Amino acid sequence: MHTFAYARPTRLAEAVALLEAHGSDARLLAGGTDLIIRLRDGTAQPGVVIDIKRIAEMRPSIREEAGCLVIGAGTVMTDIAADDRVRRSYPALAEAAAVVGSVQIRNRATLAGNVCNASPAADTAPALLVYGARVVAVGPAGTRHIPIDTFFVRSGVTTLARGEIVTAIEMPVPDRAMGAVHVRRTRRRGHDLASVTLCCGVDAAGVTRLAYGSVGPRPVLGVDESGVLADPAAPDAAKGAIFERLFADASPSPRSMRASPDYRLAMLRVLGARALSTAIDRLAQG
Amino acid sequence: MSTGRIGTSPNRVGGIGRVTGLNEYVADIRLPGVLEARLVTLDCARARIISIDASDAIKVPGVRLVMTAADLPQPVPRFGPQFEDRPVIAVGETKYHGEPVALVAAETKDAAEEAAGLVHVEYEELPAVFTLAAALDRAAPLVQEPALRPNDRLAATNVLREHRIGWGDVDAATADVVVDNTYTFPMVTHFAIEPHAFMAAPDGDGIAVWSTIQHPNWLQKVIASVLGLPLSKVRVFAPDPGGGFGGKQHAKLEPLVAFAAQRTGRPVRLILSLEESFQAARRASCEVRVRTGVDHDGALVFEDITADYLIGAYADIADRVVGKGSYPAAGPYNVPAVRILARSVLSHTVPSTAFRGFGNPQVNWAVESNLDEAARAIGMDRLAIRLRNLAKKGDAFIPFDTPADGDWQQTVRRAAELIGWDTPLPAGHGRGLAVGIKSGPTTGLSYSTVRLLGDGSVIVLAGTSDMGQGARTVFAQIAAQELGAPLDWVTVVMGDTAIVPYDQQTSASRSTVLMGNSVLQACRSIQAQLRAMAARLHGLDDSEVRVDGGVVHLPDRELSVLDVLKPGLGRLGGELTGNGEVRKDADPSHPLSGAPAFFEFNCTAIEADVDAATGDIVIVKHVTVSDVGKALNPLQVTMQDEGAAIQGLGHTLMEHYTYDEKGRIRNLGAIDYRIPTSMDLPLDLISEAVENEDGPGPYGSKGMSEGALLCVASAVGAAVRDATGIAIRDLPLTPERVWRALHERPTP
Amino acid sequence: MSEPARVFPIELTVNGHRRAVEVAVHHTLLDVLRDDLGLTGAKECCLVGECGACTVVLDGRTVDSCLVLAVEADGTEITTVEGLAVDRDLSPLQQAFLDTGAVQCGFCIPGQLLSAHVLLADNPHPSVPEIQEGLAGNLCRCGCYQQITEAVLAATDRAHR
Repeated sequence: MHTFAYARPTRLAEAVALLEAHGSDARLLAGGTDLIIRLRDGTAQPGVVIDIKRIAEMRPSIREEAGCLVIGAGTVMTDIAADDRVRRSYPALAEAAAVVGSVQIRNRATLAGNVCNASPAADTAPALLVYGARVVAVGPAGTRHIPIDTFFVRSGVTTLARGEIVTAIEMPVPDRAMGAVHVRRTRRRGHDLASVTLCCGVDAAGVTRLAYGSVGPRPVLGVDESGVLADPAAPDAAKGAIFERLFADASPSPRSMRASPDYRLAMLRVLGARALSTAIDRLAQG
Repeated sequence: MSTGRIGTSPNRVGGIGRVTGLNEYVADIRLPGVLEARLVTLDCARARIISIDASDAIKVPGVRLVMTAADLPQPVPRFGPQFEDRPVIAVGETKYHGEPVALVAAETKDAAEEAAGLVHVEYEELPAVFTLAAALDRAAPLVQEPALRPNDRLAATNVLREHRIGWGDVDAATADVVVDNTYTFPMVTHFAIEPHAFMAAPDGDGIAVWSTIQHPNWLQKVIASVLGLPLSKVRVFAPDPGGGFGGKQHAKLEPLVAFAAQRTGRPVRLILSLEESFQAARRASCEVRVRTGVDHDGALVFEDITADYLIGAYADIADRVVGKGSYPAAGPYNVPAVRILARSVLSHTVPSTAFRGFGNPQVNWAVESNLDEAARAIGMDRLAIRLRNLAKKGDAFIPFDTPADGDWQQTVRRAAELIGWDTPLPAGHGRGLAVGIKSGPTTGLSYSTVRLLGDGSVIVLAGTSDMGQGARTVFAQIAAQELGAPLDWVTVVMGDTAIVPYDQQTSASRSTVLMGNSVLQACRSIQAQLRAMAARLHGLDDSEVRVDGGVVHLPDRELSVLDVLKPGLGRLGGELTGNGEVRKDADPSHPLSGAPAFFEFNCTAIEADVDAATGDIVIVKHVTVSDVGKALNPLQVTMQDEGAAIQGLGHTLMEHYTYDEKGRIRNLGAIDYRIPTSMDLPLDLISEAVENEDGPGPYGSKGMSEGALLCVASAVGAAVRDATGIAIRDLPLTPERVWRALHERPTP
Repeated sequence: MSEPARVFPIELTVNGHRRAVEVAVHHTLLDVLRDDLGLTGAKECCLVGECGACTVVLDGRTVDSCLVLAVEADGTEITTVEGLAVDRDLSPLQQAFLDTGAVQCGFCIPGQLLSAHVLLADNPHPSVPEIQEGLAGNLCRCGCYQQITEAVLAATDRAHR
């Protein structure tokens, strides 16, 4: 592994200052489950690695604040998947967090890290899109609350500006009931990177949100406000037409070795239909 | 707590070290002053090396050596178990993605890694072949220099050898129905959890080598040969490997590390990364065309099999795999006419080597799948067609060879019973059943020494490699049984060529039979000495004394071994020593250089559910039954069979290398090369052993441990066909492949 | 403590013993355990957090030590397989692994044991699916999964005798 300098700030302001000073020569270290691999294979060669885990303002936490559930940047997948509030109000996120890698990985991997890594296949991205999450970022210019669907640009690239650190992910407390589910396609039942990720949420007003990833440079959110998808009695042809509109942005890479484009596109439709059915059932069960 | 007697399942000998973390594998051994080594490889498959500039690398503090072909004796020594084709390090040209061009040795891993990155290799990529079609093309670049194979009419091709086996006249045979299909088996790798590791150190006027090797004595010969030393000056330490499966049978980089140790005068160790292990060993992929002729009554008329195995850039033991694996390809059936043509085809890829099943799984996939098709073509039940044609015990199903040595019908019937072959299937499920056969060792030589110490405890010296299959335990059980010692009073010493007598190799599921018989012989020799001792002590004739297990029978009473041993040894004490030698000499008239000592026979039956929308296969029930003769340790037999079954599910459902157009492996490492996890098991996995005590090993045992892998793919494929109506002829049956087959099927 | 550094002194408790060591910041916890602290029970295999051969317990949770920098472990409590035995006696879990035959080549076993150890600490009566999922991050190429599951179940019985 290439050597680097390691910094362990204890206050957010120190971290911001370090980031501002080193710019793209610095990488943030949260769970390390992505970064360490890149450091070892040389795809990341930072001069400075900044460990965020001792920053007082970024300790792991899940708290309710100002009409949102706020998940601190240091919070790991294990705790998100197990949290009662997440499981009750954002079950698809709990499901997604529960399938990121293995137990060992989930004990380290953070939600913020998963989001900032900006892999199109990030398991948590579709659920975050459906739940209307925002990324809370603190930088030299102050604090921003960035809607997640504008946060992802493409693989590995987000809209974070130089010197900005994500301190939390927040999701508005739902104002109406929603049934939602996270599904994915993998090559085996054991832990795996997904070749399709998908989250479908149907709410009490008949709005269907469908977000999917790993079939293009960034995860995508589509919304059906017509009520057709949410209606179990609607004809298949009508539903099919809406699905096609929602999936129109899917453009899987032909170079991926995990799955070929036509399989991914077909699975998008299979998963979409299955997830919709489950979401409707969950909404009905309350 | 068990007595350790044969047929019981005492805890694994060597188990305590494994659960405490104190057992030392090669990578855990740290010699004082050891230099850490790293390999320099190129980012392509085949390249002409123009120049290697180590000047920057050698300047890195702590670097002690940068070794290339130019630093070795000229011409660079070559080695290999079948052909001495493999140079110690790449000479002028790399022939596969991952072939080392230089080795760096430094005081620390960091320095070695940094220096390895600073070795500048100027190279020119050369045209190369990575597939059968490319390798067999008339205009294909040759993988091996023709000069390596003088007087060989195939030397100007990439075909290393052709193997022709057959009997009867296939062309004259007339069958009511002929089924003709082509099948493919993928390139897969062993993925032992312990990557290969090697260490060498000057040892007086000789050298000591530590390796994860499965064949220590073979490695000793290779090192002695390339270094020009007598065997007595080469000491090979072979700690129990962390999984082998065949990938650690033959020398890979030990010669290079040995030269590095000689050059530096210091211990040098090279621990491969998992990615480098993937580049060090694999199984041969294969394309098999099968023409099966059957009559309407289900009788097999002929099997006409052509198997092309894609082996790597150096032969290793790959051609033997082709020859031996294809030999029983027609299956454990009485087939009047058989023609098998199997070819080993060289390519610019990772050298393929032995891998559990040794060439049999590839042809089994084709021939058993095709038999299923034949059954369907004549409207016969797929179990019935097998029972009808299966060789009976004693049948010379391969003419002039070892006859069928088990009640194979019994194994098949038991598997059918366990899967519920004749019971109704849940909707959407399918069932498949297949049999697998593999020839056991055709030659062999296993010496052993057993020492009965003065207090009745025992030391067994046996050169087998225990890589998880439990050889230590089996030998300890034999010694405990024969000499009346409690199992935990038996110590088994392996893996040191200076102390342990010669053993040819650990492969072909041979060790229970060959080394087991050797240990038994050694024990019998000690028993004879005890008999003489008892006779002397009690004024009897030898013929009046019998020693049986741990009991000495005199005409009027019974004594324990210790009752005889202690007085017999007298005040000076001492010990009794016995030697065993089990030899199976080569028979040059036989195509395999010898008839197999036994066959491994297995029947696997599968019930599967296929999700047609996604292509996911769920193995609902996996039954595996093996004919083992006698289970010396029933739990170990179960574990080997279940382990083989799970490993077979790997190449059946998910494992394969993917290459890019430049011959570079795209999925090196654990993220994109998928093997079964604990969540990928069949919902119900049942294994049973048939024990008729009809094997040539101790107490009627046969070898086992490969059988349960042989026909997994065939049985699963058959179940998928049964569930979906689609026969898929290429492995692995990934969800995507199954989905594609289902969605591209021609509409009726 | 926020000046970037290349070498860092750390203190950690390993198997109940306080250890102080100066580490290079790019060395992983796995490197330091094996090379600096002489604890070779944790194994090197995939180095990408897939196989679990390097599993250790860090502050009560299992982690892949190949993906943890040693510096991150400063101030933490680590348990390795060498710390499972109690006063030189095998723990009930270690004994169960032996008794059910869950050990073949043994290379994955330290990781399996630690994952099982923590699973049982958090969930004293796991179901078979919970065991399989809990230990899914520990690959076994010898295929001992069924016996490992049995061993974990047996260990739960043992704890209640």
